[in-house]
Amino acid sequence: MAVLSFSLSPDATSRIYELLVCLAKFGESVSIEARNEKLTITALNLSRTAYASFALDAKTFFIDYDFTASSSAKGGDRFTCQLLNKALQSVFKGRSNDARGRETAIERCDVSIQDQPDKTECRLIVKMLCKHGMTKTYRLTYESVEVMHALFDRTAASQGWRISSRVLREYIEFFGNKTEQLDLLAQDGKAIFTSFTEKIQDGKEVLKQPLETAIAIHTEDFEDFHMQDQMHIVISVKDFKAIVTHAETLRGSMSAYFSFPTRPLQFTYQNFGMHCEFTLMTTGDLRGASSTPNPKFISNRSSSRQPSVAPPPPLNRTASEMPPPARPSFSKPLSSQSQRPSFKAQPSVTESDPDPESLFMPGGEEDQTWDPPNYNNDDGEEMLGWDANNEHPSESFHPTFRDSGTAAPPPQQQQERPAADESQEGLEPTQRLSQVSAQTFHFDAQS
Amino acid sequence: MRFRAEIRNVSTLTKFTASLASIGHIAWVRLDDKDVRFTVIPEQGTQVWSVISPNTIFQDWTIQSAAPNNTINLEVPLAPLQRALRSAQNAVAANIRLTKKDNIPLLSLTITTMAMHSSQQPTSSLSDRDNHFSGNGRAPSTNGANDTSSAFREASVDFFGPKADREIVITQDIPIRVLAPATVEGLHEPRCREPDVHIVLPNLNQLKGISERYTKLGMTTSNPRTPRNNSGIAKGAKLELSANMHGCLRLSLKTDAMGISSLWTGLENPELDSTQLAEGEDGLANHPSTRMKELGDASGQGEEGWATVRIEGRDWGRVLSVGRLGGRVIACFCDEHALILYVFLPEEDEREGGGGESVLTYYINSYSV
Repeated sequence: MAVLSFSLSPDATSRIYELLVCLAKFGESVSIEARNEKLTITALNLSRTAYASFALDAKTFFIDYDFTASSSAKGGDRFTCQLLNKALQSVFKGRSNDARGRETAIERCDVSIQDQPDKTECRLIVKMLCKHGMTKTYRLTYESVEVMHALFDRTAASQGWRISSRVLREYIEFFGNKTEQLDLLAQDGKAIFTSFTEKIQDGKEVLKQPLETAIAIHTEDFEDFHMQDQMHIVISVKDFKAIVTHAETLRGSMSAYFSFPTRPLQFTYQNFGMHCEFTLMTTGDLRGASSTPNPKFISNRSSSRQPSVAPPPPLNRTASEMPPPARPSFSKPLSSQSQRPSFKAQPSVTESDPDPESLFMPGGEEDQTWDPPNYNNDDGEEMLGWDANNEHPSESFHPTFRDSGTAAPPPQQQQERPAADESQEGLEPTQRLSQVSAQTFHFDAQS
Repeated sequence: MRFRAEIRNVSTLTKFTASLASIGHIAWVRLDDKDVRFTVIPEQGTQVWSVISPNTIFQDWTIQSAAPNNTINLEVPLAPLQRALRSAQNAVAANIRLTKKDNIPLLSLTITTMAMHSSQQPTSSLSDRDNHFSGNGRAPSTNGANDTSSAFREASVDFFGPKADREIVITQDIPIRVLAPATVEGLHEPRCREPDVHIVLPNLNQLKGISERYTKLGMTTSNPRTPRNNSGIAKGAKLELSANMHGCLRLSLKTDAMGISSLWTGLENPELDSTQLAEGEDGLANHPSTRMKELGDASGQGEEGWATVRIEGRDWGRVLSVGRLGGRVIACFCDEHALILYVFLPEEDEREGGGGESVLTYYINSYSV
């Protein structure tokens, strides 16, 4: 019996392809998390500075959607796995371009996940039902992993803007090709987007410096705009281009939420039953931005409006209530990225503890990344990190345990986990990497 | 050192830059009171030396430097320049100036454009009621109003009336190097003997298309005679280009496996201006082209009277991309030696006639058999 099965219309199938193309710009693999009410496809980039997620609503995106929660309590309300993006892309690419009227047009796409190791091979099965009774069936292997989601506290991100994605897509055409970073700035009633690379060339090589482009847009052109004057927030320009390019395919407006440089920034947009969110790390001068006593805002919001848009939908993580679990397994603190000097110079503003709302471990505090996690820390404000669970903030059980961590848990957690596992009934339906070696007997029994 | 100008013809400048960018990555740009020169000298292959009358591409320009004639010599990377100019294609205004940022000299292009968005198209909120994904009763996100009714109103406004298109200002900064006079002193236009044949080329579009077919045919790697470089990759085919003083042009490909050629007739052989020749009237009589006139005929059959050069197919294709400028092209053949192409930019109005013509000169070496 399939733990998950759903059907897609041809349009939805091509949307899946487009989202895969977008996710490919972030990482090689995609993670899939299936729940009763939605399917979420996500990717995390290698340096862990960007997280992309597409949540597909069970009722509106699919023709049919059926998720069978497994009986075990822990993690049974969802199914997670990971696949290579390229493998999925080659399945979903199909001939969607010339689908109209061509003989091999896809009429429907049925997907199911077979995950009972004792009954059948664990596979993700995609059936493309084409015209004239032809069916193409693809069987993909997947890896069972726990999915990590980025935390983003929408309520803390009081600044932001919203603009038509089509307009933004036009603007990114003006950027040169080889730049690395994008600076967002509000000044004199305009929003200035600057695509640049920090100057590293010298002498003869100076001619290889990429073209630097700055675009100044009236804030009136935004549907909504609220940003502190003279504050520079810097993100990866490639990530931005990938996001805007995809946003345009959904045709609506794109929203940005942020607070200060070095705090995470989120882009979201939605349409057709797809809710898309991208959480990015930012750089920039935090001191300059946060130390202004009476910050002036450039805004086209009327005073009656809320600074942030509607209350976050349940999909959003209300991170302020949920302490981020410790993640000492981050072996690569971001200061190792040579091209972000501003990150290294980040002031240790108040505490020796990293800001819980910051998405990443600050570079200057490498030592702390190696500290053993403090499981009994109830207020949990000290260490930040990824939280594989994005809901149920009211759970009394500490999220560190509940989420069963990252794909590569640190040794300390590793020891703890078997204890936690044993408390459940039976084995999880999916195989953990850590359990593969222990289960060789299982394979033998099958063959 | 100062230079600033309003660009009056972005399209011409863009096409011009694109043509140069096919030849090489970096251009030596020389600006002075009288003209603007772009020179591209790649490590191998064709060189191009061009002179543009400033009024063709600029208006309201100022230039100032310590050198005589306010000469400024710059090294400009062509790909960023091309990219920057492309973003100006729908510009209301575009100006360019020499400036410095963090001590690095730049050519800064400031472009005022109306981005093409206008809300004439209905936003998807009208047709699309299913994006209420979050389930909190929010209006379709494309309008972002806090309540449904105003969203509806806004949607209808968007549908029926375009919002005023506002300008956006784009600034493009191109990294450059300023060259000392000493650096450019040694650069001279290649000198060549008087050409044997000069002829006006047919439509470059057609010539380019046919040349590319020939190049492809000549490049088949199965051809054992195709010369290969050290890494075993087949080098470009050598095309043979010939012309005579009776309006004939011939393009041929001769390989081990085949021999093909195309012949154009009825082309124009421009008259030489004897006042520009060194020896005046006598010079004209002794000019190689005059002698060539006595050989061959307008039919192009027969082997006499042809001046021939052998050129690399892909290089030739890159040169021919200058056809996008639409000018008159005169090809001067030095038999078995070199080919020089003079591309005269079309003048748009009478005003520039007095200021001097804009010409691109391509120097193409001929390969020996």
